[in-house]
Amino acid sequence: MRQNLPDDTLRQRLPIVIAGLLLVSVLLMLRLVSFQFQLDPAVTGYLESVRASGYQRTLRQAAVRGNIYDRDLQAMAVNSLEYRVGISPNLISQPRETAIRLAGIMGLDELDTFNRITSEVPWVLLSAGVSADQGRQVAELDLLGVTIEARPRRYYPQGSMAAQVVGFVGGDLQGYYGVEGFYDVQLAGREQEQMLSNIPFDVPEDHDEDRGSDIVLTIDREIQYLAESELESSVALTNAARGNILVMDPRSGEMLAMASWPTFDPNAWYEVRDDTLLQNAAINGLFEPGSLMQVLTLAVALERGAYRMEDTYLDRGYIEAGGVQVQNWDRKAHGVVDLTTVLVETLNVGAATISMQMGPAAFYSGLREFGIGEPTGIDLQGELPGILFVPGDEDYNDSLLLTNSFGQGVAVTPLQILTAFSAIANDGLMMQPHVFRRLLDGDEVRASSPSTLGRPISAATARQVTEMMVTATREGMGGRAGLPGYTVAGTAGTAQVPTTLGYEAGTSIVSFIGFLPADDPRVIVFIRLDHPNEYWGAAAAAPVFQRLAQRLVIMMNIPPDDVRRDLVAAGGAVEAIQH
Amino acid sequence: MRQGVLIEHALRRSWRRQRQAVLLASLGLLLAVIVGALVYLSQAALDATTGRQLEILIAERNELEQLNESLRSEIASLRSVPRLRRRAEEMGFRQANTEDIDYVVVDQYDPRRTAVAPQIYAQQATPAADYDETLAGWIQQQLDAFNRQPDAAEGE
Repeated sequence: MRQNLPDDTLRQRLPIVIAGLLLVSVLLMLRLVSFQFQLDPAVTGYLESVRASGYQRTLRQAAVRGNIYDRDLQAMAVNSLEYRVGISPNLISQPRETAIRLAGIMGLDELDTFNRITSEVPWVLLSAGVSADQGRQVAELDLLGVTIEARPRRYYPQGSMAAQVVGFVGGDLQGYYGVEGFYDVQLAGREQEQMLSNIPFDVPEDHDEDRGSDIVLTIDREIQYLAESELESSVALTNAARGNILVMDPRSGEMLAMASWPTFDPNAWYEVRDDTLLQNAAINGLFEPGSLMQVLTLAVALERGAYRMEDTYLDRGYIEAGGVQVQNWDRKAHGVVDLTTVLVETLNVGAATISMQMGPAAFYSGLREFGIGEPTGIDLQGELPGILFVPGDEDYNDSLLLTNSFGQGVAVTPLQILTAFSAIANDGLMMQPHVFRRLLDGDEVRASSPSTLGRPISAATARQVTEMMVTATREGMGGRAGLPGYTVAGTAGTAQVPTTLGYEAGTSIVSFIGFLPADDPRVIVFIRLDHPNEYWGAAAAAPVFQRLAQRLVIMMNIPPDDVRRDLVAAGGAVEAIQH
Repeated sequence: MRQGVLIEHALRRSWRRQRQAVLLASLGLLLAVIVGALVYLSQAALDATTGRQLEILIAERNELEQLNESLRSEIASLRSVPRLRRRAEEMGFRQANTEDIDYVVVDQYDPRRTAVAPQIYAQQATPAADYDETLAGWIQQQLDAFNRQPDAAEGE
């Protein structure tokens, strides 16, 4: 009886245990089944991520960056590959032979390579910047223990040419300065997300290549090369510290060349120690324009009706206002002088007299319309607005009305002053300067269309000022800026170098702006040299323009004036012989 | 007794047939499962192989595209202005001066004259049959394709 008791108990309790286990199993199965149906989105997301982490991974890849071309579709910035070659010393059986072969291909020191190969480390880098050609040669050796890793690289085939216009791409694959910086979004394209599966049955996704847009610039690399060569030789010739040459089509605002010296090689931007070299001095290199400003003063005076071409004034050699005395560069009195002579002789007293006569309101509103003191809005990163104090500003004083008229106490960028002069060359219409010509996005082409910044002066005033500039070039600079067969309108500027205590003695910033043919300008050129051994702009900068213009008329197919007139008389057009 | 033996014998024969039928059915099912599994495995292996081949081809294409980019950059380097100038000078070319250039004025030559392009007579293309993406349209398309077959055979 005592022995039957456990059997009975077991018999009684077993169904309860079985029922309990069955219940738990059913609950578990129901829970499992419930996963197949709607769940809390957070739980679904978590479960999907757990599943995906085991079988899939997401690869984020930067899109292929768009190329940059000059106006003739010559490559200025392209994508290339470079290789990173490393070695696992433990896997190398013949270190001596391997060192000789690798060093020979990659141009490394044989002994140094051998020492690396025989070092007691698991892996050692041999070279980080191996070219595509060298990388291919190393890969063809098929050596055990040699690792080759391809890395995308931005390559600038023209080297330092137009470096400050193009800019560069940093190690983070972002564009900096110039076009690379300004059009970074368009060039970079969209980042790609690619799902990689570890399941062998999954067919890999094949994406259409997503790449950034290509950009075609207005820059003509041959004119750019000419400008840079001329600038480099002029800097060497005049022993100048810095310089700029800008070439623009005044009818459209297209920049044909923007040369700055010194410059840098965008292929080795990381070696540049002076950050200012990376920036474009044409749009942020402020300087006092000196006598260049006299032209704008005269243009504003004629436009506002304060003076007429035939008007004169009595030049006593000095003028005083606001506590300052202004003298002519030669410290002489010139007697009764007309407006053209003010430009020919670059008379500070004449410009100051005219601005005094106009008054600050008319004078400064005229300068503002020429864009002085405001950025031009060119499509390049890092443009500065310049400095122009006007009545009402904290730093304004009455003497500025005098000194600003001949380019002192005001600071402009090379592009700003060139743009202002382009209005004179273009019948008073000031075009928006730009470097963007076309955007190529797959089959889509988006072209830029010329736009205007305004009309600071009328066509009649522009023609009058042009006439005065032609006379100034012919009579005022000893023929240093003229070009046989062509009518050139130009003016030179000489500015003292401002310091915190006044002006630096014995040195200057010289400049020249000229356009040709004067009656139908095709090109306008700006030249600037800092601290040349010649003090005056007419002596240092005008000859640079002359040499440059001699080449430009050939490269741009600009015929001499007589041929051009014959052509027009015969019913043709100059454009017929241009590329 | 004799009758009982006969009944038992008949019953056993019937069970044997039933067992054989069940066995055959099970065997058939097993074979079908094996064949299905083999087909599935073969198809999966084919998929995996195709995927791998596709992966290799994509990698090869990417590598060739990268190589093309490298070649383009190399071409751009070779076409740089300083190199072209140096090469031109080596070949005996020199820079032209203004006096080297003759401009010829052609009387009455108007570059902006209206150009008349020759007329192109395109061949009349047979318009493509409309396909309305309905079942009837699909059937019609198949019928049209079927009707065109004899012509194609005659052509051969």
